Amino acid sequence: MRSYLCPRVTFFGTQRLLLPLVAAIALCTSGCATRPPADDPDAIADFEQTNDPLEPTNRVFYAINNGLDTVILRPLALGYRAVVPGPVREGVHNVLANLGSPVVLGNDILSGKPRRAGDTTMRFLINTTAGVLGIFDVATKWGYKDHDADFGMTMANWGVPEGPFLFLPVLGPTDPRDAAGFGVDIAMDPFTWVGPPSSTGLTVFKWTRYGLNAVDSRERFLDPIDQIKKTALDPYATFRSLFRQHRHAQIEELRNDHRATVPVWFSQPAATPSEH
Amino acid sequence: MIDRRHILTLTALGLMAAPLLAMAQSTDKAASFVKSTGDKLVAVVNGPGSVGSKRAAMTQIIDTDVDVDGIGRFCLGRYWKLATPDQQKQYLTLFHGVLVTNITAKLGEYQGVKFTMGRSKAQDEEAVVSTTVERPNNAPTAVDWIIANPSADPKIIDVVAEGTSLRLTQRQDYGSYLTHNNNDINALIAAMKNQLSQSG
Repeated sequence: MRSYLCPRVTFFGTQRLLLPLVAAIALCTSGCATRPPADDPDAIADFEQTNDPLEPTNRVFYAINNGLDTVILRPLALGYRAVVPGPVREGVHNVLANLGSPVVLGNDILSGKPRRAGDTTMRFLINTTAGVLGIFDVATKWGYKDHDADFGMTMANWGVPEGPFLFLPVLGPTDPRDAAGFGVDIAMDPFTWVGPPSSTGLTVFKWTRYGLNAVDSRERFLDPIDQIKKTALDPYATFRSLFRQHRHAQIEELRNDHRATVPVWFSQPAATPSEH
Repeated sequence: MIDRRHILTLTALGLMAAPLLAMAQSTDKAASFVKSTGDKLVAVVNGPGSVGSKRAAMTQIIDTDVDVDGIGRFCLGRYWKLATPDQQKQYLTLFHGVLVTNITAKLGEYQGVKFTMGRSKAQDEEAVVSTTVERPNNAPTAVDWIIANPSADPKIIDVVAEGTSLRLTQRQDYGSYLTHNNNDINALIAAMKNQLSQSG
């Protein structure tokens, strides 16, 4: 199963993303974490649980990302918070989430979760119409709750292992499976392919969307990230731990979503045969 | 008509149900414990009073309802056994201080907080109580409370927010710090002291 899936991971032209990956592995010859000596089983257990053999290289990228964040993204997010009122930011967030629906739907289907696919479809239909092009999240109030889905989660559901921890430029904390998944999500997004490539309006729209997405998600994490940087003794290790735990929880939730697909109007067969 | 076979079946069912019942009772107790602790916390956060008095009230709740020493030992991981009794004592005192400051530092952020109780279930010797925490201008957060000794002496031993465990994250932070400081527990103690003095 795995050997069958692996070639598909590199499908859809993710070379752009694989390049830093290959670079990271190449750098590993000079920057690999040293395995503790064999006579210290507790230390080895810790080392394996951390699952970060590229740690020295990852820390370099963490430092670079952190520097870029401090001078570019964080000030932008702070400015965005200061200038744009809360309800407007909420509307922007909802519109962005609504534009992401096709990718979520694709992954719901590929994960074999019809109820999730149904939720996403209803959310998209309701929020695009009653929610005025996605500004208001009416669907949640009507009982169609939001959920996360991306190709990394889809692959996890198929049984693809996550691989070692990676901290990549721009992308941040990830792993080979989720980094490849990120590329597939871009390929899966209809907005990547619509319209003539020469259309200026479309190019502006695409880049505005990418930019707004970055600022919107950074704004939502302003307080927790500031808090971690203030209270953690080793912020890198704390972010690594939080990323992994959150990812595992998302995947676990996807796996445990066993909601039946029987419509409510369908008469249920009697649960137990009647006794005589 | 109840014949012998039925009595046997009923007895067997009763025997099976007894531990289930005990488990249900302990999860119920855990749930009501979380409810009362949560109510106390919310009352302090949203209530009147100066930051100082709120901090004192929070410290009191943490001391009575949270197994701070147990969490501290967990967070030191394999280094707990390597530490001298004196280091262990120093570490636990500092850990208590750090935990209280980290929680009380967030008091302002949590103004207007509400929580709703969810399901509770037994997990090994512990109980997991799910809640949803809502803050103004924030998406609702799923928070699970892990309760040790749910039936006898319930204490909070972990808080899991959106799948991320507080004590596990802290353990990996300390573990990584120690790995990069020659596994020297005194270095960790010094860093914690420094942290406490900076937060005032």
